[in-house]
Amino acid sequence: MNGTRAASLTMPWRFSWLRVEGFPWIPAIIIGVIALVAVFANVLAPYNPEIGVLGDRFRPPAWQAGGSEAYLLGTDHVGRDVLSRLIFGARVSVVVGFTAVIVAGILGTTLGILSGYLGGWVDQVIMRVTDAWLAIPALTYAIFLAAVVGPSEWNIVIILAAVYWTRYARVIRGEVLSLRERDYVRLAIVAGCSKKTIMRRHILPNVLNSAIVLGTLMLGIVIVTEAALSFLGVGVPPPKPAWGLMLADGKKGMMAGYWWLTVLPGLCIMFMVLSANLLGDWLRVKLDPQLRSL
Amino acid sequence: MKRFIVKRLGYAVLSLLLLSLTIFLFVRLTGDPSVLLVEPGASKEDLAAVRVQLGLDRPIWVQYGHFMSSLARGDLGHSFYYRTPVLELYLSRLPHSLLLAAAAMVFSLLVGIPSGILAAVRVNQWWDSAGKIFALLGLSLPSFWVGLVMILFFSVYLGWLPSSGSGTALHVVMPAFALGWYFAAAHMRLTRSAMLEVLGSEYVKLARLKGLPEALVIAKHAFKNALIPVLTLAGINLVVMVNVAVVVETVFAWPGVGRLLYEGISFRDFPVVQATVLIGGAMIVIVNFFVDVLYAVIDPRIRYER
Amino acid sequence: MLRTRMFGLIGSALLMCAIAAPAGAAPEGTLTYGVHVTLAARWLDPAEAEGLITPFMVYYAIHDALVKPMPAGANTPSLAESWSASKDGLTYEFVLRKGVKFHNDDPVTAEDVKFSFDRYKGAAAKLLKDRVREVQIVDGTRLRFHLKEPWPDFMTFYGTSATGAAWIVPKKYVEKVGDDGFKKAPVGAGPYKVVSFTPGVELVMEAFDGYWRKTPSVKRLVFRSMPEETTRAAALKKGDVDIAYLLTGPVADNIRKTPGLKLVGARPPGVFWIDLPDQWDPKSPWHDLRVRQAARHAIDRNAINQAETLGFSLPTGSIIPRSFEFAVAFEPPAYDPGKAKKLLAEAGYPNGFDAGDFYPFPPYDSMGEALAGYLQAVGIRARIRTMERASFLTAWREGKLKGLIVGITGASGNAATRLEAYVSKGGIYTAGVIPEVEDLFQRQARELDRAKRETMVRQIQQILHDRAMQIPIYELAFLWGVGPRVEEAGVDQIKGFAYTGPYEDLRLKRPQ
Repeated sequence: MNGTRAASLTMPWRFSWLRVEGFPWIPAIIIGVIALVAVFANVLAPYNPEIGVLGDRFRPPAWQAGGSEAYLLGTDHVGRDVLSRLIFGARVSVVVGFTAVIVAGILGTTLGILSGYLGGWVDQVIMRVTDAWLAIPALTYAIFLAAVVGPSEWNIVIILAAVYWTRYARVIRGEVLSLRERDYVRLAIVAGCSKKTIMRRHILPNVLNSAIVLGTLMLGIVIVTEAALSFLGVGVPPPKPAWGLMLADGKKGMMAGYWWLTVLPGLCIMFMVLSANLLGDWLRVKLDPQLRSL
Repeated sequence: MKRFIVKRLGYAVLSLLLLSLTIFLFVRLTGDPSVLLVEPGASKEDLAAVRVQLGLDRPIWVQYGHFMSSLARGDLGHSFYYRTPVLELYLSRLPHSLLLAAAAMVFSLLVGIPSGILAAVRVNQWWDSAGKIFALLGLSLPSFWVGLVMILFFSVYLGWLPSSGSGTALHVVMPAFALGWYFAAAHMRLTRSAMLEVLGSEYVKLARLKGLPEALVIAKHAFKNALIPVLTLAGINLVVMVNVAVVVETVFAWPGVGRLLYEGISFRDFPVVQATVLIGGAMIVIVNFFVDVLYAVIDPRIRYER
Repeated sequence: MLRTRMFGLIGSALLMCAIAAPAGAAPEGTLTYGVHVTLAARWLDPAEAEGLITPFMVYYAIHDALVKPMPAGANTPSLAESWSASKDGLTYEFVLRKGVKFHNDDPVTAEDVKFSFDRYKGAAAKLLKDRVREVQIVDGTRLRFHLKEPWPDFMTFYGTSATGAAWIVPKKYVEKVGDDGFKKAPVGAGPYKVVSFTPGVELVMEAFDGYWRKTPSVKRLVFRSMPEETTRAAALKKGDVDIAYLLTGPVADNIRKTPGLKLVGARPPGVFWIDLPDQWDPKSPWHDLRVRQAARHAIDRNAINQAETLGFSLPTGSIIPRSFEFAVAFEPPAYDPGKAKKLLAEAGYPNGFDAGDFYPFPPYDSMGEALAGYLQAVGIRARIRTMERASFLTAWREGKLKGLIVGITGASGNAATRLEAYVSKGGIYTAGVIPEVEDLFQRQARELDRAKRETMVRQIQQILHDRAMQIPIYELAFLWGVGPRVEEAGVDQIKGFAYTGPYEDLRLKRPQ
């Protein structure tokens, strides 16, 4: 058992992190800002993001010819203020992203632990289900769900959670398989701890690191998937603002040179993905350098 | 060893059965296809007639039984929308999907692996930053956006490449890039971190101490070991590519399986959806099966695992 | 020596070309289309015609009909030389054109016409089969259709794109290869024959020089499915396609402004309007006439027309397209938000009201968003609910949608047939019935005297208009981009047809 492993035996919620060198300040701040914007959207946005004035459509940002100060970042195809939509879009991205990641994480981690630790038929059943599940692509689920219940924000959460829990389960299961052979776990078994206790107190804290790292990476994937779903028409339904949807809607204006309709939401997506990934990278290095499969 | 193979085979079959049942039920949840196959003013009798024609008036278990027995005979049904045998339809599109996925995979490996190595070797220098930016863009720009921009720039503005469709080698270039960029980025990051890890290992330190030239160290020792996780991931990603290609296929009017599936769902074309998902699933299950067997061959301990 | 020989050869070749060149010159060139829909195999077979205009894009190319809409008129005799109706309206006689052949050289006979009718199972098949008592073959080139009772709309259904029953397929061939075989290798009597068909992807056709009307000037037609609008437009700009169907908003505008390209608008008989199923509920605000009128005035049709279809559409006050027989052309209600608010206040809603859900017609979501915006501006607050197309159509016909529904249909017919589905008792989408309307409707269906019938149908429309039963928006224009190589694109030649036609009249520019 080497030194770094020992450190991860305990719960990782220690603020000593922050004093450690290399903490990615900028990504953390970006994510923090996005989260704040999401929470205070009502206060920050100058206009209603869902209703526009048709006569004001396709206005460029204020600094370009044809732009006006009334619409700092321009308007979209039905005359809605882009800035307001970006602000409210943060809310959707944050809510959808975090919820999906958390739900997928809880589900996947739980099943991964059960599957890896208990083994036997539990493992087989879970793995078969995972296989069958993985065979159906995320986009297919999305379209199905949109067809059955109609497109909605929550569909996206359900779909993303439903699809990505399998990734968690597999990775966590792999972790657990190797953890099971560790001395401290064997000791616990010898000492007579129940399976449940072992799973809860010894396995769980150690896989939590992987789960968290996976989570930050998932966040990026979730945002981009939302964009793809919106492009296919089964993402967040209009008129609700979501960055991916704005990007998809903006394609109408690409030919006409209305760059702000795609570049601005694209930048927001990029920042979010960037920050999530950098944070995830740093976490991975700090918490568990062995985790190279991610 | 035989027992292992048989067991794994059994699991594969089980997964596929589960999949077939799941997709069969799912698809029927989406609604009534007859509405889309008649004109908006059609009468209820017209609709009922269509349902009978499509075999949808029979009880579900009868339909499932019919579906499975036809499957055993290699008959995947008739498309509601196209009125042609589904297998034929699927097989006419599959080569295009495979071509696109292969091209995108080649691109992602050719770009991803070398840049990952460079980034690792020149850690925190110019290459590393450039690599990071390239990766960032690939991971955060949706493929449809990349595709559209490419069409507008390379096809309309420069006139170098055909804007859509398939046919010649030139037609594959943009779709492969649009699809592959994300994966190139993923492979780059993985290669980089795998390389970094290997480069910091005892094994490599020893090689350096021995006085071997750096290039040799990288090429012979580090590279080979770093390749393993990357190739594993690449294998999985090939399948993922075929699945997410629907977006690229739509933008470039590329006649692949992804678009077939998407339209199948939109048109409530049950046989097409069932067959496409089932075949896709079968491919995954088969690949997994062979990978499992391969691992067992390489590492005997695995054979005796329960 | 060789040189002189060559000159001689070239000279004679040129001479032959010069002799052969005038009318009936060999077809040459390829015309490529970027098509907005997924090409379906059943569009190769007129027996499966849906009530949509889309499959006719293919039928007009590879098949021909006894009578069909052409530039000359709605029921232009094509494979038939002439047709006539008996005085009692019970018999319709068709005389076939002599010497017409299918692509496989089989002659077109009365047997084929009867066969095609019997075989027809597409839109309104049941209606036709119910009303037609017998198809009698008088001799090799003459047929009589005997109806059970007088049916003034027979030719509207049989002879237009309302059904595909008049489109003739070869009996011998179909019986030999079967329905599936026919879809793989269709044989028709139209100006083009099928060279290859990749389902959902591409259809390639070549000119049939035995076509009775004239030999097409363009040798090959290629239809390519391109579901993504920006891609279609890009293909047009690059020159990969010569015609790109269905362009909207800024993309259409960009094409219009591109030198060398043309933006044209066809106007098939489709009207966008908002259906109000809640008006039959006494508790709903929509029950009040003033509220419905207010909504009609709240919308700036011209602005939406500009935004979506660059002004090509025609704002209207009726759900019946002007071009339809018996249609009354009502002017669109004026855009007057002030008046709308006043009407709402009079009705007891000075601060507006919650109008429920608003369902745009998929995939015209942005139009829906714009409409909702205008209603919102006068206080009619509705929640936009976008749905997937299939679910939407099902839910609408099953009466599950409440609130505001954007509807459109491009089905062929006349005012009466259009009204049937939406306002008469038996109509699929009818949410409620006005007794006088129903009475008038039943009477006009039996009326043989055309003038009397017209009066009744017009009366129905007047009642609908006065009662503000719907909120009509505009007659939708279908915009396409035409590339520089196209000389004659066949825009709006056939009234009410959204696509290029007739195909045999299309021409490419001769290379300079």
